[in-house]
Order: sequence, then structure tokens, then C-alpha cells
Amino acid sequence: MSNDQFLTTRMFFREAVGRAVREEMEADDRVLVLGQDVGAFGGSYREFDGLFKIFGPERMRDTPVAEAAAVGIAAGAAAAGLRPLCVITYMDFLMIGFDALINYAAKLRYKSGGRLSAPLVVKTTAGAQGQGVAHSQCIEAWLISVPGLKVVAPSTPEDAYGLMKSALRSDGPVVYIDHKRLFPAPGNVPVAETVIPFGKAAIRRRGVDLTIVAHSYMVRVALETAGLLEAEDLSCEVVDLRSLAPMDVNTLCRSVERTGRLLTLEEGQVTCGIGTEVATRIFERIGVRPWIRVGALPAPVSSNPVLEAACVPNADRVAQAARTLAAR
Amino acid sequence: MSDALLPLRRMMLIRAFEDALAARKDHGFQLLSTGEEAVAVGLSLVLEDGDQLLTGGRSIGPALARGVDPGKLMAELLGRVAGVNRGRAGRGHLSDQESGFFGAHAVVGGNISIAAGVALERKLGGGNGIVAILFGDGASGAGGLYETLNIATLWHLPLLFVCNNNQLSVSTPREASNAAKELRDIGRAFAIPTALVDGLDVWAMAKVAGELVEHVRSGKGPAFLECSSLRLRSHSTTARETRSRDELAQLHKLCPIKLESARLLTEDQITNAGLEEMRADAARQIEDVMAFADASPYPEPEEVLAHVE
Repeated sequence: MSNDQFLTTRMFFREAVGRAVREEMEADDRVLVLGQDVGAFGGSYREFDGLFKIFGPERMRDTPVAEAAAVGIAAGAAAAGLRPLCVITYMDFLMIGFDALINYAAKLRYKSGGRLSAPLVVKTTAGAQGQGVAHSQCIEAWLISVPGLKVVAPSTPEDAYGLMKSALRSDGPVVYIDHKRLFPAPGNVPVAETVIPFGKAAIRRRGVDLTIVAHSYMVRVALETAGLLEAEDLSCEVVDLRSLAPMDVNTLCRSVERTGRLLTLEEGQVTCGIGTEVATRIFERIGVRPWIRVGALPAPVSSNPVLEAACVPNADRVAQAARTLAAR
Repeated sequence: MSDALLPLRRMMLIRAFEDALAARKDHGFQLLSTGEEAVAVGLSLVLEDGDQLLTGGRSIGPALARGVDPGKLMAELLGRVAGVNRGRAGRGHLSDQESGFFGAHAVVGGNISIAAGVALERKLGGGNGIVAILFGDGASGAGGLYETLNIATLWHLPLLFVCNNNQLSVSTPREASNAAKELRDIGRAFAIPTALVDGLDVWAMAKVAGELVEHVRSGKGPAFLECSSLRLRSHSTTARETRSRDELAQLHKLCPIKLESARLLTEDQITNAGLEEMRADAARQIEDVMAFADASPYPEPEEVLAHVE
């Protein structure tokens, strides 16, 4: 057996997305990409660089600015036998495609009695980076309550690669959420083709005093926080959800049972948020533990740099919450 | 049975089916197509086995016209496991792709882009199958229609847009719900072939739909057909009727089944006795359909979590 399985290569998050899509398109000619600027332009974040040259305009298919129809066409094509990746530039715009995604695709297997399904992946980009109130939101919490819908949100290039491959092989529908601030992030990705299954959280840092549960870009904030608090002799475990629906409740419970405290962290709103769901799932199983939730303040996310920074969580805010939690 | 009588026979079956369904107390609420049978039957006459039809929520007549098994359809509408979707879809969401009925989606306008996706698969997968999307004048104000017309035209999708203009969107008259002079004008904006047809005349329906189907099947892209029809019942079996009895009585004179029966009589293609026999045949068939549906049970409550993921 070769050692290839242990070899890694360094690549940016955006490149890892592109690699996964390229490999799956090469392996399965039913896979195609459609969305705004996915063709010769290579994607809004250059995540599809080079794919247009390989696969051409039929399979790297530019759409007009029409999110409702784009998601609908992708859902219909999926129901008819293709495996489309529909790209919605910002997660805020996914709201326009909710009918096709939620009322049609997510219910199709159920309503047809198992005779039809929609193996559709919607890839969309969440998060704040100076783009204003309707280009910055993280609305994944709205999605995880939809029966039939899978939701994943990678935080590393390796996961971006492995989860995209799983998504494109899934019988869907799947919402794959990346983050504006993650695209330029480098990381090690296996050289060998690998797939990361849904429903598996990853422990990013071991700790004993409290567990921080986060996803997407906030995993980096959680790790930064853990670094800050180490100097204060406060040891944080950081769990990266990776997959929001299905959720890896086993790993979450084991971590919180060890540390005894839970801090949930997300960039979206805390009301009915991912953190609230994480805490509920854990406490339903192991009983209540001290818990603090951190997320955006209850305000829109402005493009104003001062207001944006004031709204979304940063390591200082998370550290402050962690200190409060540790004192309980 | 001669081909000349086939459309009438199919329309009578739809009418008998829907009347029998409406008479049941346990049917839930339904969107019936009384007065619109010629649209479904005429269109289906020119669709082929490899084609797919999608509709809005007013799906029963079109599904029957397309050849969905009437017994399984009735079972579906009554919530029984012998239904095409195990009784869980109902009229708003039923599908039977093997019969060329890819399905209903009862969010008004919502199925139009879905149909374009099915058409995209047809185009990329080769073959000469086309897709028809049937929607009402009520959907003509919804954005999905315009977005999909634009993309379907840009991509030359094999998609026939069929607007069944039954003149009313629940209570809102057609003139108050869309600013276009004729609904076919919506298609004209995209420079695709359009036609306006008398949707009460089943043969005219088949002829004009056939011309547009030929265009779509030839790979030249989409086309838009407006069918002028009538809704002879209220919007749904639980909705209030907004028209007067006198007005409805006048409209009933234009019933497409009456018109086709009269035409066949005038042309000596059928006798009054022949018509009566045809009605009796439909009634007998619906008795069997009801017996089949009633023999099937409701799903077990445990089925609620099946086929979610």
C-alpha cells in the first residue's frame, strides 16, 4: 500500500472547492454547474477557475440574475436525473429561491412516495465582509428546520473539498455554505481523492474547561479565542460542526460531558439559531450544563466597518463570554 | 372507438371523475377543471410518450388526460396507499412520471422553473422529448414565469408554456391580474412563437398546440400558447363562488363537452343514443375507479417519517 493516502498538498479554500467539483464532473457527466458568473469568469471567488476550459458552457452554465428560476431549474433538472450544482452568489439571495428549494426539492422524495428525488446542491456564500445588510447574512439556522434538507458549512480547505464531494454524490438536496473570508484561506488537503461524510463533527482543539461549538468562519474565531484564553489558564475545546443537518450529536455530547460547559458560537442571529439547536440537542441527551450563546447582535450587518465589526462576534467578545461561562 | 370520438370520451371521463370526487365528503379540498377539459385533452393529444407535462395545483384533469391510471389517481386524491404517491401528495403535488405526468406543484407559478429544469435534462440528455408546463392566468403575474421564459429562450429549451386562461384567479378577473392585452403577449416579448386558441374547442386546442409542439420538438426553443377557457365551478371545492347563477347558466352553454357533443351530432358522427352510451361508459368506469380507491387503506401513521431523506 502506498503512502499516498497520507500525503497532503497545500491549497486555498477556493481551490479545494474547485478541485472537488472538477473531480466529480469528470467522474459523473450528470454533474453540471449553473449560476451567475460560473462560466468563463470562473466564479465570483474564482472557485471554478479553469473548469470552463475543461467542461465548456453546457456544463459550466451562466445564468441571468434570476435566483428563483436558477434554483427551480436546478431542482427540476435534478428531479429529471441530472446532478446540478446551483451557485447562489450570496446567501441572502437564496431567500429568492426558497420555493423551489424548500417547497419543491426538499419535499420531493416525500411527496412522490419515494418515486422522485432532487439530487441538487446549492452552493452559497455567507458572512460579513463589508458588503452590507443584504449581502452579509448567515441564515443557515432557517434551513436546518426543513425536513429533507441537508446543510453543511466547511471551515477548512480539506473539508471544503471532502464535503463538496459528498454533497455532489448525495441524493440531496444539500445546501453547501462557504464564507467570504474563507476563500483565501490556505490549508492542507489530501493528495488522494477523499470524501468527508455528512454528520461528522471535528474536534479542532482539545481542552478541558469548556467546549466551543462553531461552524464555518467562526471556527477560526473560536480557535483564536482558545489561544487567547490559554494564557489565562482557561482550556477550551473547539468542535467544528461541519455538518449542520444532519448534526453529529454524539461528538457534541461527549465533548460537553468531558468539559462540563458549552459555548455556542455563530455569525448569524442567536434567536432560534444554530447554537440554540446545538444546546437543546445536547441537553436533551445528557442533561443541562452551563451554556452561553454568542452570535451577531440583533441588528442588520452594515457595510460600515465600525458597525459591521460591532455586530458580528470576534475573539474578544467570545473570550469575554467564555470567562463568564467558566465562572459559573 | 374511432379517433373522432376519443377527445369527447376523455373529456367525459374527466368530468365524471371530478364530479364523483366532488360528491365525496372525504375528499378534502380539490381544484377541479370543469370547463377546462378541452385544454388538458387537446394538449395531451399532441404530446408523446417521451414527453412530460407539469402543472400548477389544478392537476386532476391534466393528469387523467396524460394517461395517469384513474384508479390510482382517485386513490391518491382520497389519501389511500394505492395512490400514485401513496396518498401523500394529493391534487396539489401528485406525480406519475412513467405516465408522462412529471407532477403538480401547487405554489402558483412555482412549477414553471421546475419544468424548465426537466426540459434542460431533456436537452442535455438527447432524445426528442419535450416538456409542457400548464399554468393558469393566475400565475401570469408571478415572477417565475418571466424569469423562466427568459432563460428557456436564451437556452433554447424544449419547453412549451401553456397558459390556461380560465378568466379568474380565485375572485380576481383576468383583466385585473395582468396588464398585458392578451396573455400571449408575454411570450411575444421574448420573440418566441405564440398563439391564442379557443380552449373550449378540443380540436382547435390539439391543432394549435400541435403546431407549437412541432416547433419545440424541432429544437428551436420554447413557445407560448394561451388557451381561452372557462372555469365552471368556484376556485376550489371550499371557495365561494363569485358569479351569479344567471351568469353561470350562460357560461355553462359554452361547456366544452356540450360543444363537442353538439358538433358530433351536427356532423352525424354520433347519435343521441351514442352520446348516452358514452356517458354511461364513463359513469361505469368511475364506479370501478371508486371501488378500487375505496378498497385501498389509508397509510399507517408510522409512514409519516418514510421517504423524508
